[in-house]
Amino acid sequence: MPDRDLTYEDLLQIVELIKSTSHFSEFRLKVGDIEVSLRRAGGTPPQLAQDNAAGAPVPAPRKTKRQFPEGAHLVRSPMVGTFYRAPQPGQPPFVEVGQAVEPDTTVCIIEVMKLMNSIPAGANGVVKEIVVDNTSAVEYGEVLMVIEPR
Amino acid sequence: MKHFDFVDVTLRDAHQCLWSTRMTTAMMTPILGAIDRVGYSYINILGGAVFDVCVRYLHENPWERVKLLCSRFATPCDALTRGQSLYTFELFPDDIVALNAQVLAKRGVKVLTVYDALNDNRNLESSIKSGREAGMKINGWMTYTLSPVHTDVYYVARTKELVKLKVDFLCIKDPTGLLTPERGKTLFPAVVKAAGKIPVQLHSHCQSGLAPKVYEIAMQSGFTHGYTATAPLANGASLPATEEIAERARRLGFRISLNAKFLKEVADYFRWLCVREDKPCGKVAAYDPALYEHQIPGGMISNLRYQLETMKLEDRLPEILEEVAQVRRDLGYPIVVSPFAQYVVTQATLNVVQGERYKTIPDEIRKYASGYYGKLAAKPSDEFLDRANLKADEFVTERPGEHIEPWVPRLRAELGAAACDEDLLLAAFYDKALLEPLRKPGPAYRYSTTPLHELVSWLGARRDVEYAHIRFAGTEMTFSA
Repeated sequence: MPDRDLTYEDLLQIVELIKSTSHFSEFRLKVGDIEVSLRRAGGTPPQLAQDNAAGAPVPAPRKTKRQFPEGAHLVRSPMVGTFYRAPQPGQPPFVEVGQAVEPDTTVCIIEVMKLMNSIPAGANGVVKEIVVDNTSAVEYGEVLMVIEPR
Repeated sequence: MKHFDFVDVTLRDAHQCLWSTRMTTAMMTPILGAIDRVGYSYINILGGAVFDVCVRYLHENPWERVKLLCSRFATPCDALTRGQSLYTFELFPDDIVALNAQVLAKRGVKVLTVYDALNDNRNLESSIKSGREAGMKINGWMTYTLSPVHTDVYYVARTKELVKLKVDFLCIKDPTGLLTPERGKTLFPAVVKAAGKIPVQLHSHCQSGLAPKVYEIAMQSGFTHGYTATAPLANGASLPATEEIAERARRLGFRISLNAKFLKEVADYFRWLCVREDKPCGKVAAYDPALYEHQIPGGMISNLRYQLETMKLEDRLPEILEEVAQVRRDLGYPIVVSPFAQYVVTQATLNVVQGERYKTIPDEIRKYASGYYGKLAAKPSDEFLDRANLKADEFVTERPGEHIEPWVPRLRAELGAAACDEDLLLAAFYDKALLEPLRKPGPAYRYSTTPLHELVSWLGARRDVEYAHIRFAGTEMTFSA
């Protein structure tokens, strides 16, 4: 028998063979000067649990349609994203209920694909209601705030 | 006979492109000795993504990796930063940029490589000055892209700026593999001429499948160095294989000082590592003409598809890719690399979903258009500027680093006098909570391995194996659970 070192080619060959026989409880291999035999517990090897928590798309929560007062100006989300009431965590919110706003007053941020979108009030008026909780996921066109026009 | 030399990217860009940057220090250490003996001119060990993934996902202290690699390699090590943004996408003040250069040099880095995603070389000034003061050589990169404004004349102008900044090396970086041999034939000689005595390098990815031929044109045009990776981690979104480029250089009559035995040892190890870690090897990409339209790197398209799926918009992907080309024109041809790739893709998605262009413009894109991150390659379109409605006082014309106050005094006061420079920089880049896992000591590293050793530890890690017997040459072993 020639004296030589196990090579990476040998290793890849052995490992591929062992992997391809994972449904058998016993495995014996003799290739040239290499012999491998192994036995597996049970017969059906335990499969590693598939951790799919991070990979699976999260279904968007179904929200019931609600009615808003007629004539009110509704601030809607431009996209699927995340709603933020303040410019930075820990900072005061852009607006509170009862506050007067102008069309270009920023009332919240919607994070879309990691970018921040400042959302303007879009009308002169007073913030009547903040419909969505801070950091909630919002859908395209979802109502974020209700502005009572002046 | 002329020389052509090599810079290794196996420990940085290769796994950034193929493994989402998930190579741990423990995966590297057994093969460092062989990599060191291959005969590379430089070994690139650090970049923005490596630094960030170390902290966020691998929970390794990146400074420890830098020190370990620099101390194990006799070959000089190269570290890449995004200029004024260092390892992130925000801008840092000059004092943080300078402290980072000092820390890299202290940890053993010999070459500081810097680039700016807008090719605004004012964003490199601070790094170049502080890097040189810290004793490192400076390598200035220009990022290649295709657009009506990114002409040979444009790149010659950028080259002249880098020459003026007295860089030690110049490099054309082609992040999406857009270079063609035809373009290389005009661009490369023009850049080499403008660079004068400064050696010019090529760093091109393989998405279009044309990179190996493009490297040949570079050699023939007088480039001195090419960036390459070990064969199993080359090609596809990665860079060309060292083995292939060396062979092409030899056939063209260049002298190559690479050791074939160690090259093979490195390739064998990483081919096995792909199997052991269940990660992909690089595959030669088929030529894809669509790449030249949207220019989005392959990795980014799969990421975009996933983002669209979570928003139930996956059927809009073709429309969005088409809109990407329009948005890029409207924004003045930003280069489709991070972070601007994300800007262009997000704006295109907003345009398509809203059925109206630029109804909503993300704050970051408004900042980009105002010049906050640096000079734009071209003026944005009237349609975009009209909708962005930027006020006169929002435009920025000064060097971006100039509008940021120093941070070091504040961070020193917060962290106390005992805090080391490394910790101070980490605190500048990350929230406290992200840094907590970095406190735990790293594992004991193995600095060598053999195929037999790998086989035994692989079998030992199979939870389903309760008995194994191996006989090879004079060796025989049995283990049972």
